[in-house]
Amino acid sequence: MLEPTSPERPARATRRPLASLIVHALLIATSFAMLYPLLWMLAASFKPQEEIFSSTSLIPQQFTLDGYVSGWSGLSVDFGRFFLNSLTISLLSIAGNLIACSLAAFAFARLQFPGRKPLFAILLLTMMLPYHVTLIPQYVMFFNLGWVNTLLPLIVPKFLAVDAFFIFMMVQFFRGIPHEIQEAAIIDGCNPLQVYWYAILPLSTPVLATAAIFTFIFTWDDFFGPLIYLSDVRKYTVSLGLRTFVDGTGISNWGAVFAMSCLALVPVLLLFLFFQRFLIQGIATTGIKR
Amino acid sequence: MPSSPRRTSQTLRKAAPAYLFLTPWLLGLLGLTMGPTLISLYLSFTSFDLFQAPQWIGADNYLRIATADPNFMASMRVTFMFVVTAVPLKLCFALALAMILNRGISGLPVYRAIFYLPSLLGSSIAVAILWRQLFAGDGVVNGLLAPFGIQGPSWISDPRYSLWSLVLLSAWQFGSPMVIFLAGLRQIPTDLYEAASIDGATRLRKFVSITLPLLTPVIFFNFIVAMIDAFQSFTPAFVVSRGTGGPLNSTLFYALYIYREAFGFFHMGYASALAWVLLVIIAIFTAIAFLTSRFWVYYDA
Repeated sequence: MLEPTSPERPARATRRPLASLIVHALLIATSFAMLYPLLWMLAASFKPQEEIFSSTSLIPQQFTLDGYVSGWSGLSVDFGRFFLNSLTISLLSIAGNLIACSLAAFAFARLQFPGRKPLFAILLLTMMLPYHVTLIPQYVMFFNLGWVNTLLPLIVPKFLAVDAFFIFMMVQFFRGIPHEIQEAAIIDGCNPLQVYWYAILPLSTPVLATAAIFTFIFTWDDFFGPLIYLSDVRKYTVSLGLRTFVDGTGISNWGAVFAMSCLALVPVLLLFLFFQRFLIQGIATTGIKR
Repeated sequence: MPSSPRRTSQTLRKAAPAYLFLTPWLLGLLGLTMGPTLISLYLSFTSFDLFQAPQWIGADNYLRIATADPNFMASMRVTFMFVVTAVPLKLCFALALAMILNRGISGLPVYRAIFYLPSLLGSSIAVAILWRQLFAGDGVVNGLLAPFGIQGPSWISDPRYSLWSLVLLSAWQFGSPMVIFLAGLRQIPTDLYEAASIDGATRLRKFVSITLPLLTPVIFFNFIVAMIDAFQSFTPAFVVSRGTGGPLNSTLFYALYIYREAFGFFHMGYASALAWVLLVIIAIFTAIAFLTSRFWVYYDA
């Protein structure tokens, strides 16, 4: 911004530090209020049972790991199993989304073919479709295939690129890759699959990383899918495990609930710490939901 | 144009690889999206319990929705209430914080990260569980109010307040629209503000005459995303009300009602009709937003 005109300058100079101090104070207060619930939960996970409800403090008076110990094996199957299931679903979903969505995106962004425009319009339309509309027929189909109570309904659709949003995101990115690269590859005798594999994908790591991270977060946090498809405790995801904890009318062991809740947030938190750049850019450029 | 055999074969040769690339998506489109959409439209005219073949009952499901289902009315009321409060609240927070952060403040990445974090974690069931505890009778919120001599109720089990704790949970996640607003604010050319300063415009005037109009495309986008999201909200209400939508249907979000009909009572036909009503409602609201957008969304020519 332009510097203020000279007559104004002295006044500004004296006012600015104070104004900026006030703004920072407000922002820090807001930050604290935003983080307080999460910090409180973290503290509660280390508090003994009797201290959890009586205290709004963020520092446990008595530090204990009881919540983690009793929570980990608090259900008939221990949480390690749930983490393994969630991880399986998430990693396979990432593979599915990256493969199927990038293939489709490559065709839309880089190949000329009859039907491209109407198909792309359909793609955009499916992004707006509420999932409730396809939910019941999909359930009936998976039920008839004998896939209910397996991980398949949560994984297979990803290999068929049902998350149209990621195709859209990749199309946007692929379109930005200079055409000379593709043309050079074709002159060198590459077929479309080779162009995709050797010319486009290596240049697309940012968008692939963003898609992978968001796929992980979405599937890791997914509650509705596992809720309707999984009934055997051994197949539960972390979300379902947590839900089982709080399902009864009286929750006896809140320390365990909060300990496992904190653990459930750790993978997403780690992604946030290490890949914040991709997350923020992904949101700023494509407006992905979360 | 008459197509010679050569032309046809050329088109085919061009089309074949493209359609190979599209195969997974096309299979998904037919088998998991378009097919199920049509089947669900059919099911919405049937009585179907998953185990016996669907029975055609004409428009009965829709008639019942329109005239004889108090739960439908309750869930509509709750969902609309949620949409019209949570969406503006979230977007106002997002815009306000984005405006403050955009003033060249030091430590911007840190603040942005902190404000964004709840958006990222908020969809987790862990946070929904936490929320249920925060707003319980013996929860943290009441613990914080106690020093001020306020004896708070159990917010989540009082039908007057239960919805508002969920609105607050949604507003708490203002981080992702804020990030989008920040990106939008960066796009506004600074010379406009300079010109306005020279003309002696106040800060408020600049906000109303420059920032808001130039930000309308971003506001529009955020509004559509937040609205569609709010209409489909499920997990928080499910967890806070233990899947019941209670107390007294006060948190019976529409998605929760569909779930209860479909997977609680196996009213698959009726639930399909409910899903189609939701689709139509979202489509109408989105259409209204798009149609009115040319009156209030400013696109740089």
